[in-house]
Amino acid sequence: MMLKVDNLSKSFGRLKAVDDISFDIKKGEIFGLLGENGAGKTTTIKMLATLLRPDNGSIALNGEDVWRNRYLARQNMAIVSQEMNLEYELTVYEALHTYCLLRNKRNAKKEIENMLERLNIADKRNERTGALSGGQKRRVMTARALLSGAGMIFMDEPTIGLDPMIRREMWDIINSIKAEGRSILLTTHYTDEAEYLCGRVAIMEKGRIIHMNTPDSLINQAGTYALDINGTGQAKTMLFSDSLLLNDYLSVHNFEEYRVRRTKLEDVLISYGKSA
Amino acid sequence: MTDILLNRFWGTYAVFYREILLYKKKVMRLGFVFYSISTPILYLMAFGLGLGSRISIPDYGAFLVQGIACMSSMTNSFNMVSISVSMGRLQSGAFQTVMTSPVSAASVMRGLVLSGIIRSMVSVISIMLAGALIFHTLPFDMMALMALVLNAAFFSCAGVMFGLVINDMEHHAVLTNFIIMPMSFFSGTFYPLNFLPDWLRGIVYLMPLSHTTTIVRHGSEALLSWILLIILTLVCFYAGSKMLEKYGE
Repeated sequence: MMLKVDNLSKSFGRLKAVDDISFDIKKGEIFGLLGENGAGKTTTIKMLATLLRPDNGSIALNGEDVWRNRYLARQNMAIVSQEMNLEYELTVYEALHTYCLLRNKRNAKKEIENMLERLNIADKRNERTGALSGGQKRRVMTARALLSGAGMIFMDEPTIGLDPMIRREMWDIINSIKAEGRSILLTTHYTDEAEYLCGRVAIMEKGRIIHMNTPDSLINQAGTYALDINGTGQAKTMLFSDSLLLNDYLSVHNFEEYRVRRTKLEDVLISYGKSA
Repeated sequence: MTDILLNRFWGTYAVFYREILLYKKKVMRLGFVFYSISTPILYLMAFGLGLGSRISIPDYGAFLVQGIACMSSMTNSFNMVSISVSMGRLQSGAFQTVMTSPVSAASVMRGLVLSGIIRSMVSVISIMLAGALIFHTLPFDMMALMALVLNAAFFSCAGVMFGLVINDMEHHAVLTNFIIMPMSFFSGTFYPLNFLPDWLRGIVYLMPLSHTTTIVRHGSEALLSWILLIILTLVCFYAGSKMLEKYGE
């Protein structure tokens, strides 16, 4: 087990941002945290990355409590934040070099050059990070996390604001990190991203984990058939676990405009959101 | 044991290197040069050349160069460190990369303070050169230089603490105007402390900068000021390290 989280809680005043959550992440697994804004995803990541002390619960990385020896734990974890937290005055190479020094990597020149090639930003080596596009900044931040050599990487909405092409490229990078045997905790608003990348996902709602399983299992639990109904004044989607139930429903209701398709993780998330 | 010491050294060096690299990028910007070097030199010229001959202090030029070097050591170390930490926290978010690294809080503190000392000494040396050119004097012995370094260390520590607690840059400007600005004018920078009325002198002795100006002008005779400044620096270093240890977002 790479990361084990038990009964983690965090409150800000009277607001319970994270409420008694438990999960684990295996070596080489991409684990997704889904949920709407304010569900507690970023607070969870900050606690895991030792940026925020939990009120209750424990976090163990490779069996060691991360809050018992933070500095030791940080050697084996890295975070790719939601914010573009780069030193905008520095060039790409300088930003990576200073990061390597902070990670106690003294002779990382060749490794940095290889990383720039791998993430397709070698031509930006001497450009100021502040002058890069959003996608390029995300790559530099990902390069930092990879250069850390950490086995556990926290990625907080790593593709937010990126165009679909660049997003796909980031997916390939994330998959290649997994292929190296590193574990990733990924938070995202994009359910297609979670469906494509994550081995398991946890759905958070008001600080609690309300469901946790593989994307396919969550879809199967909610119903594999999605019925989109239009023309009733308000478009809506209903989920059905088998085709017989779906056909019965359609024969009873005489919809003018409808479509049957395979359920997506997004439908599951919305249906849980409605029932919560 | 050797490994621990080596890691501490590298942690300190990594933070120091990062800060100095960021400083190098800023140093040639016009506003930055004006703020850190030109303003104190303007004070030097305006007070020294304008008032110098009318003030009854023997060798006012030397007195003023010493005072402005102290003031500049304070403003540069305090402002640059506090701005670096607060901007890194509140605007770029880049301070997170330091605080999620395996570098200990004490090493981060050492790196930030060392960078503050270097930054402040750059402006102090510029003022010394300007003083030598304008007033043909270089009134600094080894003791005075050590006091300026200690002063920079103290205000760098205070800058780290300040940078960690403020919530926006407006807050920074307000507090700087209320704390740093009065210290600049009342701590024996432009005139001797005994020019002040008794009631005000008592308050001024609470200002760390007044002890620096005393040491720079009186060297080893100002033993009490030495002791006070050393204790204040150690206390602030410890408090800053503790604040970094408790750092949270």
